[in-house]
Amino acid sequence: MATTTAVDLTSQTKPKKLLLQVAHDWLTTVDHKKIGIMYIVYALVFLVIAGFMAMLIRIQLAVPNNHFLSPQVFNRLFTMHGTTMVFFVGMPILFGFGNYLIPLMIGARDMAFPRLNAFSFWISAFGGILLYYSYVGGSGLYGAGSAPDVSWWAYAPLTEKVFSPGHSTDYWTFSILLSGIGTTGTAINIVATILSMRCKGMTMTRLPLLPWIYLVTSFLVFVAVSPLTAAQIMITIDRYLGAHFFDTQAGGSAILWFHFFWIFGHPEVYILVMPAFGFMNEIIPVFSRKAIFGYPAMVAATVSIGFISLSVWAHHMFIDGLGAGGNIFFTAATMVISVPTGIKIFNWLATMWGGKIQFKTPMLFATGFLFQFLGAGLTGIVLSSAPMDWQLNNTYFVVAHFHYVLVGAILFALFAAFYYWYPKMTGRMLSERLGKWHFWLFVIGFHLTFDLMHVPGILGMPRRIYTYEAGRGWDSWNMLVSAGGFIQAIATVIFVVNMVWAFYRGRVAGPDPWDAWTLEWATTSPPPDYNFAVPPSISSRRPLWDLKHPEDVDSHYEY
Amino acid sequence: MSERAAMAHNDGTGHAESEGFVQLPAPTIWPLILALGVSLSLAGLVTHWAITVLGVCLVLPAIVGWFVQIFPHERHEPVAVSTQIVPISTEWIVHVRPQPEIEPSAATTGRRQVLPLESYSLFVGVKGGIAGGIAMTVPAAIFGLLKYHSVWYPINLLAAGGFVSWASESDAFLAQFHLYGLLAGFAIHAFSSVLVGLLYGAILPMFPRRPILTAGFIAPLFWTGLLYTSLGILSPILDARINWLWFIVSQFAFGLVAGFVVNLQVRVRTPQFRALPFAVRAGLHTDAPRVDESLGDKNK
Repeated sequence: MATTTAVDLTSQTKPKKLLLQVAHDWLTTVDHKKIGIMYIVYALVFLVIAGFMAMLIRIQLAVPNNHFLSPQVFNRLFTMHGTTMVFFVGMPILFGFGNYLIPLMIGARDMAFPRLNAFSFWISAFGGILLYYSYVGGSGLYGAGSAPDVSWWAYAPLTEKVFSPGHSTDYWTFSILLSGIGTTGTAINIVATILSMRCKGMTMTRLPLLPWIYLVTSFLVFVAVSPLTAAQIMITIDRYLGAHFFDTQAGGSAILWFHFFWIFGHPEVYILVMPAFGFMNEIIPVFSRKAIFGYPAMVAATVSIGFISLSVWAHHMFIDGLGAGGNIFFTAATMVISVPTGIKIFNWLATMWGGKIQFKTPMLFATGFLFQFLGAGLTGIVLSSAPMDWQLNNTYFVVAHFHYVLVGAILFALFAAFYYWYPKMTGRMLSERLGKWHFWLFVIGFHLTFDLMHVPGILGMPRRIYTYEAGRGWDSWNMLVSAGGFIQAIATVIFVVNMVWAFYRGRVAGPDPWDAWTLEWATTSPPPDYNFAVPPSISSRRPLWDLKHPEDVDSHYEY
Repeated sequence: MSERAAMAHNDGTGHAESEGFVQLPAPTIWPLILALGVSLSLAGLVTHWAITVLGVCLVLPAIVGWFVQIFPHERHEPVAVSTQIVPISTEWIVHVRPQPEIEPSAATTGRRQVLPLESYSLFVGVKGGIAGGIAMTVPAAIFGLLKYHSVWYPINLLAAGGFVSWASESDAFLAQFHLYGLLAGFAIHAFSSVLVGLLYGAILPMFPRRPILTAGFIAPLFWTGLLYTSLGILSPILDARINWLWFIVSQFAFGLVAGFVVNLQVRVRTPQFRALPFAVRAGLHTDAPRVDESLGDKNK
């Protein structure tokens, strides 16, 4: 039975404001919670847009010899879909949750640099707007304007002026540059906040695992995003000032771009997936009613992943001719990263083992995450082996693998996070019934799409093809994959409806609807501007447990 | 208010509650303007130069405005705090499963579950591995004798995994005695036996009900399945020549003997049983009493 404990908290009643005042408040805010929510809303808007693009792509590929889209529009769609999902959905939404939760979880009142925080958000948002402004540039919206068509990694020399005349590539470059500035700013802020603003008693060994993971991820951002930013500047110099960094006709190197891009690109996967791990670390223990298994091992695994992820980028380049030494090193490094990742999976399972598991919607999504992340990891091992990669590179198998990670793991973790923290952010509970519909439909749609997508890949279907001939054995697979995509879209609509409905009509959540243990639940839902009237003081990793069970506090067991 | 005191402390600035206000960074439009200015400066390169000029015009005042916000003193705004007692409440009911009745002990009377209560020492696994490794050689030798009329064939085959030059050698060559083959085969076999023995020592306490079934049959089947799928990568030479029927018989022999030896040993109480802290540091506890049924039976 959950307990009820009185604590020192503060509530505030706010007078109703005019719309203009509300807009002013949000535009000028430096409050980490509002900035976090803005990040999340902006990412959700782009998620809907990029999801719509995915649907168009799947309509085009559902049947052979289809001309639903023109080849040029198709190229632009998958470029914009990929770029948007990575830079304007994945990173903002994760930083949005980080922004919102980290100060609350460490008992602080705000981020270390609130104004830098606002700047980081706005410059990232303007990056996204600039990317989509490309649709109205050049030949205008009807002809898809100057939208980039070089895919999300913009391989050189395709991006050189001679192959990409006009401004489409520039839109891509500048939007990524702006987003990179914002991302780096937020990472600086997160590191400074976690290292310097923890409440009294919160040593690094009592830091909740979510901030721990954001700390490592932010360091990873410093190392990984800088080469990408450098590459954007170099390609801009190539295109505008006639340099030849990546111009192979003039002595430049296309491989150099590959290195620059993937030294960002693969750690980027971990930049995206590690916060998802963080969500699991908070959600699984609460819904298993057990403390996380192996806290020190989880921290060590997180740090290890941070380091190892920096040494795996070239497994994207096995077919570029790295040589035997390079192939062996990057194969081994990629496989080694499965060790700390495996530790995490085992620890989550051990946390659930023997627990009193309650399959509320957040836990359902967390369980889905566990299964699918395991599947994604296994297909990753296949691709990390150079000989297999030579066979499967640039096939739909690769598309299936990375969507398995990005959707099956990260998006499921994000959905879990939404269901878990939505009550804290809005003060209202999301509907469990709609949540379960959302979960089961999404699971069905996900597996129909991405499990089956591996098959045409193995059968040799290349990625990025506009259409294909009938009778190659890909037809029915593609039809089923597209059907799965639409089921996912329906599930997502249910999720959006649930959020909107709950915002106005949802059950009032109260401060701690899940009987949780971390500090964000020690304040009202939603929290007041100052988070805590008096900064808290803690003596264990589960401060709310201590408060609810003074007869059996965690601090007696930690030393 | 006592709980309040336990939870909270003065943050040292002295303005938290005593004045009824909290000082927070003042809202400002300048970060937004600066971001817009920087974005427009770049956007001008793909649209029109006038946009870049507009961007630069926004960047300069934004920098000055931001500077004024934080120098000489960071601008704050007071936010009123009305302190009151708010209960941390939850409507969430956690269903507790019926618990087996067991004899009270230090581990079961508390709120927390500590697992495992007992385990084997590290060397028990090593002992089991050595015993199992010796036992495994018997069916292997019988197989060598029956099929190749030599007890050396299995060990040479094992050693061939480490000698690439032996890949093309005939069965007759592998049936002969080779000192290097014996040493290499012994090293590989000893290493893997001890390693698997350690694994047995670690996992057997988790399956206390039918240790012989677990150790003697189920674990070897899993182990063989794993090897069956991966041996082609680990040792193609071994994979090409291995006889899986005899291999699994050897594995059963290993499992039965190793499991038997391990189960003969006395279990020791884990450090977390003796002094709970390590258990909690490792996260091995729950929030309500629950006891492993089998351990409960043993305690009886």
